[in-house]
Amino acid sequence: MIMILSILCHWLIVLLLAPFFIGVIAKVKAFFSGKVGPSVFQPFFDLIKLFNKGAVYSKTTTWIFRAAPMVLLASVLILSLEIPLGVFKAPVQFSGDIFFLAYLLALARFFMIAAALDTGFSMEGMGASREAFFSCLSELALFMNFITLALLAHSLSLSHMIGADIPMSWSHVGPALLLIVASFFIVLLTENYRIPIDDPDTHLELTMIHEVMVLDHSGVDLAYVSYASAIKFLIFSGILVPIIIPFRTGDLVMDMLIFLGGMLGLAVCVGIVESSMARLRLNRVRNFLLIAFALAFFGFIVTMWRG
Amino acid sequence: MTTWIDASCIFIVFLSLGILATYRIVGIIKIFAAQSFVLGLVLIFLHAHNLSTRDIVISLGTMGLKGVLVPYILFWAIRHVSMRSEIKPVIGFGTSIVSGALLIAGAFWISLSLKLPGKPVSDLILPCSLATVLLGFMIMVTRTRAVTQVLGYLIMENGIFLFALSLFDVMPAMIELGILLDIFVAVFIMAIIVNNINEEFEQAPASVSRSKMGETF
Repeated sequence: MIMILSILCHWLIVLLLAPFFIGVIAKVKAFFSGKVGPSVFQPFFDLIKLFNKGAVYSKTTTWIFRAAPMVLLASVLILSLEIPLGVFKAPVQFSGDIFFLAYLLALARFFMIAAALDTGFSMEGMGASREAFFSCLSELALFMNFITLALLAHSLSLSHMIGADIPMSWSHVGPALLLIVASFFIVLLTENYRIPIDDPDTHLELTMIHEVMVLDHSGVDLAYVSYASAIKFLIFSGILVPIIIPFRTGDLVMDMLIFLGGMLGLAVCVGIVESSMARLRLNRVRNFLLIAFALAFFGFIVTMWRG
Repeated sequence: MTTWIDASCIFIVFLSLGILATYRIVGIIKIFAAQSFVLGLVLIFLHAHNLSTRDIVISLGTMGLKGVLVPYILFWAIRHVSMRSEIKPVIGFGTSIVSGALLIAGAFWISLSLKLPGKPVSDLILPCSLATVLLGFMIMVTRTRAVTQVLGYLIMENGIFLFALSLFDVMPAMIELGILLDIFVAVFIMAIIVNNINEEFEQAPASVSRSKMGETF
C-alpha cells in the first residue's frame, strides 16, 4: 500500500515539475533574444489544449502509429520511478536498473522510429534514420558514463550511483567527474533533441530529427509525445544534478531547495547553450557525440588509474 | 594544489582531443593557445609552495611565447594563404577521435611500467603528457595542411614540456628558455615557408604539392 502511494506521489511530482523546466528553457531563450516570452507555465496550457483535442490518423498508418505515443509516455513514466528527486527516494531501485533504464529508453525510441516509418512519409523516414544513428552513438557515451559511476559507487543501482558515494569521489577523482559531467551534458542535449544536436523549434524538414518524426501526431497523441519529452528532460537532469551537487545538508527542506535550484540552474544552462550556439551541421553531430564518448572514456581511464 | 594540477593536466589532454574534432584552422590555433596558457599555469601550480622569480619568468615566457606570439604568427601565416579549414585528413575526423581515445588509454597503460626517479607531485602528469605527445603526433601525421601539421608538432612539444616539468624539479632556466626560443624560430621559419609554398602552388595542401612538383619541374 505504502509502495503504491509512494509511486503515485512520485508520479504526481514528476508530472507537475516536468513541463515547468521546459517553460524555463523557453523563457531563458526569449530573454536572450530580447523578448518577454511566454510564461513558464505555457507548456501546461499547451498540454491542456492538446489533451482537449481529437486526433487525426492517416489512412496509411496501422496500430503501431497509434501505440507509439502511449508506449513512449508509459516507458518514461516507468523510468521516472528510478530517479530520486531530491529528498524523495526512488520508489523502484534494484541492482542493474541502469540497464533497465537504457533499454526502456531504447524501447520507446524503437516505437517512435517504427511509427515514423509507418506513415510512409519520406521526411519522417529521414528523421527516423538520423534518430537511430545519433541515439546509437549517445548510448555509447551514456553507458561509458554509467560504467564509471558504477566503478565509483561499487553498485549497479542508479540510486546508489548518483547518491551516497559521489561526495567522497569529488575530492579523490574530481577532474574525472568533471569529464563525466561534461560528457553526460552532451548526452542530455542529444537525448532531449536540443541545440547543438537538433533544434526543437525548427520546422524545416531537411534538418529536423525529433520534430520531423512527430509531424503526423496530433491532438492527444502529440500531447503524449511532448509530455514524454518533458519528462525525459526531467529524468536526465535528475541524474546529472546529484552528480554536480553532491552534498546533503540533512535538512529535508534545504536539500529539496538545493535540488530544485540545481534543476533550475541546469534548465537555465541548457537555455543559454541554446541561445549562444548554432545547430551543428548534420554530418558533424557524429563527431560531437564521439567527443562525448571520448570524454567519458577518458574519465573512465582516470577513475581506473586512481583506483 | 594537487587537484588544480590534476585538473590542468586533464584539461590539456581534453584540449588536444578537441583539436581532433575541430575543422577550422583558426579554431585549432585558438585551442593551442589555450593549451599553452594552461601549461604555463601548471608551472605555477607545481611551485606554488615557494614561488621564485625564475618560475614566474618561465611561466610568463611560456604563456607569452606559446599562448600569444606563436598563435599570432600562425594567424599571420594563414591570413595570406587561403587555408581556412582542414580539407581531407588521411583518416576521418570520427576515426581520429576514437583512435585518440584509444591513444589516451595507451598512454596510461605505458606509464604504468615507466619507473621515474623521484616522486612526481601528481600521478596524472606523466600519463597526461604522454597522451598529449601521442595526440600531437597523430595530428601531425594524419592532417594534410602544412599549418595543421605544424600545430601537431607544437602540441607534441607541449606534451614534452609537461613531461619535463614532472621530471625535473630544478631544470636549468637557460635550457627551458632555449627550448622556447627553438620553437619560436621553428614556427617563424614555418610561417615563411607556408607563405612561399602558397606563392608557388596556390591553395595546394601539403600532400598534393609533392606530386605537383613532379609535373611542374
